[in-house]
Amino acid sequence: MPKDAIHAPETLLDIRNLSVDFRTPRGRVKALRDITFPIRKNRIVGIVGESGSGKSTVLWALLGLLAKNAEVTSGEVRFGDRDLLHASEAQLRATRGEEVSVVFQDPMTSQIPVLTYGRQMRDILYRRPNLSTAEKRRMAVEMLGKVGIPDPDKRIDQYPHHFSGGMRQRAGIAMALLTGPQLLLADEPTTALDVTMEAQIIHLLQDLQKELDATVVVVSHNLGLIAELCDDVVVMYAGEVIEAGEVREIFHNAQHPYTRALLECDPARIDDVSRKLPVIPGDIPDLTKPLSGCIYAPRCQRAMPVCREKLPPDVARGEMSLARCHLLDGPHHDPSWPPPPDVMTVGVGETSASKPARAVSDTPLLDVSDLNVQFETVGPLRARLRGLETRHVDAVLDVSLSVAPGETVGLVGESGSGKTTLGRCVLNLVPGQGGSVKFEGQDILNMPEARFKPLRRDMAMMFQDPVGSLSPRKSVRALITEPFQIHGITDVDLDAEAERLAEMVRLPGPFLSRYPHELSGGQARRVGVARALALNPKLIIADEPTAGLDVSVQGEILNLMADLQAEHGLGYLIITHNLPVVRHIADRLAIMYLGRIVEEGRTAEVFARPVHPYTQALVEGVPQPDPDRRRAHVSISGEVPSLLNRPKGCDFAGRCPFAQDHCRAEKPPHVTMVDGRRHACHFPLT
Amino acid sequence: MIPVSENPSESETGIPAVDATGLPDHVTEAEIRESAAREHREKLRSFLTNWQGLTGLILVILFFASAIFAPWLAPYDPNALDVPSRLSGPNLEHLAGTDQLGRDTLSRILYGGRVALYIAAIGVSVSLVIGLILGMIAGFGPRWLDSLLLLLFDTVRSFPTIVLALATVALTGPSLSVVLAIVIITSIPQYARVARTATLTLRNTDFILAERSLGASMTRTLLHHVMPNVVGPLLILAAMDVPVVVTVEAGLSFLGLGVTPPTASWGTILNEGYLVIRDAPWMVIAGGIPLILTTLGFTFLGEALRDIFDPRMGKGR
Repeated sequence: MPKDAIHAPETLLDIRNLSVDFRTPRGRVKALRDITFPIRKNRIVGIVGESGSGKSTVLWALLGLLAKNAEVTSGEVRFGDRDLLHASEAQLRATRGEEVSVVFQDPMTSQIPVLTYGRQMRDILYRRPNLSTAEKRRMAVEMLGKVGIPDPDKRIDQYPHHFSGGMRQRAGIAMALLTGPQLLLADEPTTALDVTMEAQIIHLLQDLQKELDATVVVVSHNLGLIAELCDDVVVMYAGEVIEAGEVREIFHNAQHPYTRALLECDPARIDDVSRKLPVIPGDIPDLTKPLSGCIYAPRCQRAMPVCREKLPPDVARGEMSLARCHLLDGPHHDPSWPPPPDVMTVGVGETSASKPARAVSDTPLLDVSDLNVQFETVGPLRARLRGLETRHVDAVLDVSLSVAPGETVGLVGESGSGKTTLGRCVLNLVPGQGGSVKFEGQDILNMPEARFKPLRRDMAMMFQDPVGSLSPRKSVRALITEPFQIHGITDVDLDAEAERLAEMVRLPGPFLSRYPHELSGGQARRVGVARALALNPKLIIADEPTAGLDVSVQGEILNLMADLQAEHGLGYLIITHNLPVVRHIADRLAIMYLGRIVEEGRTAEVFARPVHPYTQALVEGVPQPDPDRRRAHVSISGEVPSLLNRPKGCDFAGRCPFAQDHCRAEKPPHVTMVDGRRHACHFPLT
Repeated sequence: MIPVSENPSESETGIPAVDATGLPDHVTEAEIRESAAREHREKLRSFLTNWQGLTGLILVILFFASAIFAPWLAPYDPNALDVPSRLSGPNLEHLAGTDQLGRDTLSRILYGGRVALYIAAIGVSVSLVIGLILGMIAGFGPRWLDSLLLLLFDTVRSFPTIVLALATVALTGPSLSVVLAIVIITSIPQYARVARTATLTLRNTDFILAERSLGASMTRTLLHHVMPNVVGPLLILAAMDVPVVVTVEAGLSFLGLGVTPPTASWGTILNEGYLVIRDAPWMVIAGGIPLILTTLGFTFLGEALRDIFDPRMGKGR
């Protein structure tokens, strides 16, 4: 419902001309330059930008919690009649927590593990000496109930490790709201959570904001979250506010080329899956260098000579709307900009109509059938002492899956669904306990390493963390050529191979002498791809290939992977929780829940007509980057149960809106439908 | 109107064309080369601006130089007797005085430094290498091997060094190689412990898993990927361990368990000086100064190295 209709809201916090420098060994990094924007009362303001845009720095500058090497060079932050930037430490302490409080990104690390929630929340109220302990506890219980924690009066005496991730983030929100702050700052509040939890937290924040009349600032890189949650949006790029406005203005009529490009790059907005993903070429500029002109000019598709020389004007549209671009005003005003929303402004690459209709070969490249992977939870002695019957949890349970040459199979699931374990088991990194894994017809499950080693040339894995999966003390050249050395291939010129592979993944040659920590996420990912491709494998298992990458870079990596597939006929098994991305690249999808595959079928069909209620929840759970498509309700509640107490019946029964007694009593078997899709549900949706 | 873009782009992909070097226009090749070298230069500069580190480095160089060049620096033969001027204080002929046999103390200190250097260099490096290997195997290998090695390390650590030395000497008689063996055996466990802990934290990282997925053997993983990441803190530990080894040698020699007379060692100088401390306190002072300076030098150097190379230390200070 539009809140805009109410009379013009007053400004709660006004950031004016804020500039922050960081002193680093490489020189001064001008992290924020002349940031000006108001935060209006009773609204949810989203600050959106890619990594390195300075969005979190704004947040910490407001609270005076910047790192020691930061220096505020100019500006003021008006909060009522005070200037927070120049307030004394005592004043700031009085403000923080009482009037302005924070919800942190990772509830795992931002709560004290050795104190109960009751104690932690009592401590938060330390400025209220006239309140009795019992009264403080009552307030805390009430607040925990408000954020949707069941049995708050019992759970308040538990420790953070008793809470699951989503519950912990709810408790984090409760702690932030306990003092009744006027302003709530949320730093990537859902990044550490799963899709289904993310939707719940978004709705919780929305409801609480309405109920408490609070003002909320959300910092996020997730356009879907911003569109779903926020009233006002501030777009940042490389330390500048390049556009600001109300959420519909930004998402439906973006003025700045960067905002336009960012929106166009979001895979969730692109309905046409036959095209390649658009990308914003280039990297974020080096902020230690002297900057002139428009900060976005080196990457802009519409850059003009003047853009590199003159700072563009701030073109105002409304009360808080502005965009900083030469195209909008002044001598270089272009009335045809911005083009209508259906015109793409960034490169999309050629349509991949050439994607060959593959002949289904008789022998799939990879054939997993009824695979079971168990992890030991207690030792044999302890199990006997405690009288436990099972010492194991099933991380992967009766999974069947196949990948044909040249095919991309997406394996989708939330954290803890066993998808990564499955990938590792296929590569013999984790032992399996039952079933079979066949690679080109050869059974490879638990094969001794000596016999398996030659097969490793045909199967490669891309790991989740692009930088962390590269050995930190090795140069890129050494990393790329390592597969040759491992497999004793001596008849190649390693230098030539390094150059060839770097060219293949479009990594500029001079990067070969860099070390992993000197690479950006996208560049490190390219090195990972090059390593995986070094020995011309037939199958690549990619674990979250887009994790840790910005929207504009995601497209580049995925396009690269698609090109390489077309060229070499690779089979991909892509493990991910990111549905919008997988929709663009996967031919088939397998949805995993608690170690079981609950649905499997062709991507388009799965998205169009999900059979399993969980699939439906996942598909609907993706926040759409369109403020007019906000969801009215959350489709599923609750959280993924622990593997330690797997439900007796259907694993999903506890959260399923359609669950019946039969579901809770008996595990649904895998059923193959007439169109070749498989599912595990007693009462399929179609 | 066709939008004219300043950034030339490939007609099909819309990706901006890059110049001949294959780099985007805002990065030059020299900059990338530079960035690799930059970090090294930064570390060097922060080391050179650290007075503790610099003092340490100078003292350590002095220690090495005086020991290596002792035959040229020493004014007398360390064992040459000059009975008439025995137990003399510092004078122009004998800068640090003489001992009860009239031997020149300065020469004996310089030659004693050779013993200290010999023990420190060989003792520390051998125990470092053995400790590193054992520690990595314990951290990376199977659980039972880890437990077994840990038991071994803790057993060795539980022996007091001096008592172990006394017992060994009672069996073998005093000699420099016994001192060396004692030093090596007693310092292996601490290197191994540090190497094991560091290896354990690396063991489950993505990049080690990535190496396994490529088919890298355990030897290769340990040598190429674990060791470079583990050896840094160990080298710093070794630098700080040198003075300990030097004092252990001096202590054992002082007790008569180390080098045999007439070989000069800082410990024997102290021991002989201690016997005549009432008549000639100079000997004890002159024999103690190099010990103090060496200890300070290596400790300063080790701490400075740790501050610079250990990213967890010194952040935001």
